[in-house]
Amino acid sequence: MLAAQASATTLEVAVLKRDGKPLAGAVVTAESATPSASPTPPVKAIMDQVNLAFVPDVLVVPVHSTVQFPNSDAVSHQVYSFSSARRFQLPLYRGKPYPPVQFDRPGVITLGCNIHDNMLAYIVVTAAPWFGRTDNGGTWTVADLPEGRYRVRVWHPLLNEPAELEHLVDVGTQRTSAEFKLTKMLRPAPLDDRPHSWDY
Amino acid sequence: MGLLSRSSPVLSRLGRVLLPCVFGIGAAQAAEWELSLDLRAVSSDGHQSFLEDGQGKLRFDEDHQGIQLGRLRAAWTQPLGEVFSAHVEASRWDDLDKNPIDLTEAYVEYRPYPRAGWRSRVRVGAFYPPMSLENRARGWESPYTITPSAISTWVGEELRTIGIEGQFEWLGTRQGHAFDFQLTGAVFGWNDPAGTMLAQHGFALHDRQTTLFGRVGAPQSDPDESKKELFHEMDDRPGYYAGAQVRYLDRAVLNLLHYDNRADPTVESVELRDMAWKTRFDAVALRIETAGDWTLLVQAIDGDTEINPFRPLIWKYDSQSLMLAKRWGKHLLAARYDDFEVEFDDRPAWTGSEDGHSWTAAYSFERDDHWRFALEWLQVESDVPARSIELGEPAFARESKLELSVRYTLGGTT
Repeated sequence: MLAAQASATTLEVAVLKRDGKPLAGAVVTAESATPSASPTPPVKAIMDQVNLAFVPDVLVVPVHSTVQFPNSDAVSHQVYSFSSARRFQLPLYRGKPYPPVQFDRPGVITLGCNIHDNMLAYIVVTAAPWFGRTDNGGTWTVADLPEGRYRVRVWHPLLNEPAELEHLVDVGTQRTSAEFKLTKMLRPAPLDDRPHSWDY
Repeated sequence: MGLLSRSSPVLSRLGRVLLPCVFGIGAAQAAEWELSLDLRAVSSDGHQSFLEDGQGKLRFDEDHQGIQLGRLRAAWTQPLGEVFSAHVEASRWDDLDKNPIDLTEAYVEYRPYPRAGWRSRVRVGAFYPPMSLENRARGWESPYTITPSAISTWVGEELRTIGIEGQFEWLGTRQGHAFDFQLTGAVFGWNDPAGTMLAQHGFALHDRQTTLFGRVGAPQSDPDESKKELFHEMDDRPGYYAGAQVRYLDRAVLNLLHYDNRADPTVESVELRDMAWKTRFDAVALRIETAGDWTLLVQAIDGDTEINPFRPLIWKYDSQSLMLAKRWGKHLLAARYDDFEVEFDDRPAWTGSEDGHSWTAAYSFERDDHWRFALEWLQVESDVPARSIELGEPAFARESKLELSVRYTLGGTT
């Protein structure tokens, strides 16, 4: 325990857009390049539906986690995913009539509502023990990371990169930084303040 | 139900779908309804309106100023089981129509879940063909202006799909791509008179949609003949349309449509005092929206309509529209230019031909879910030979109006 603490350090990952400005909200995962046996415990998360939008727009959960999909709107929603990591559908509902959905495979799951086409959100299911989203300064920091080599991945719904963003980072005893710089412009963000009564 | 499920899984499944339909049960099956009243204050120098047998282009002419009923509207959406829903739109336009309140649309939609990136949709009933990227607000209204473009005005006046429409859509944006792609096809009947208004009064600029069992005025001397009913089958030949739509994220939409009502132009109806109008056109629309809440909308239509009482009589028509709008939260400013032309029998100076254009500027304020205020100025200049040939007026007319709309909407779920 003491030895582990002595060799643990902080990893800071910065994600920059093509123009050098920070990218907020990017999903960053870090896992040991030499697979460890200890899986991250699953969590119980919530993907709400408020004002004809999914809240949050991106949810990151460990493998085997469950997600509840309450509908806090007065109108009915019909949630679906046909992403290969988890296909499911929740027939037309309001309130909280269904049990949580379990996500057993890592991957990005795109959520939609079959009634309201402008509703779009993502669940990122990860097997990595360390994960999070970049802050407004475009950085994500994890403390107490044991010494070793890590596979760090970055994902964002608006990425336009030709290849997956992945770095191998050696974390030693000193605070370590890693930087991802996008080579392409981001896709335009969804127009989220358009009146809901308009056709998509 | 228990006995049913043991005896036949198919019947049980059918029961699960049908029982909620029959009884309208279950919290999830809540119907959504909307009621709205739209009142207008109008100042207009418009010539006698086409609704009153004139050759004026506006709904509210010089004799219809002051406080007017814009629209009284009731809409109902009822889920029928899991993937079916029924939609009904009823309205009243206070202009001596046949029925005090009447339907503009009524259809059942089948909308199954997407599978492996593809989704299909089927609509059966009476509804608008998918060509107006402009009339995207509820009740097939434009959220940008009170008066839609000349093209949308004509669609609202004469066209309705009464039949079946299928859509097949590739949901690329749900699979990490930037584009969605959609194909649409429909087969319909009961729209053989479509084209008669275009031939008789040309394009117009108004927000009145012809109701399914209602009628619309036409400029003729005999008042008994002056009202046209548009949604009738006359030749037992179904029409069709086929369209495609490409979307770039939620920013840009390109819509293409080819329409042909396949009417037999030699067929005449004594009861309707009209012929079947063979009406065909191609329509294209492009809408681009930016993060700064700008909207650019381009629309164009090009087609012809024909009757053949003793020889083919053909009216060619085209119209183009360009609109730019900017939204600041609940405030919206829009400006639009429309150009339109009808040419009868290759004789531009004859009755049935026309050439015109219009400018529209509108400001609207959507205060909340209930109140919406809009102010619109519109000027239309048109050269209509029928004005001088039939009415003894100058062929050229410049008509303008200033209109304030106050709308109150109530909505909810049951």
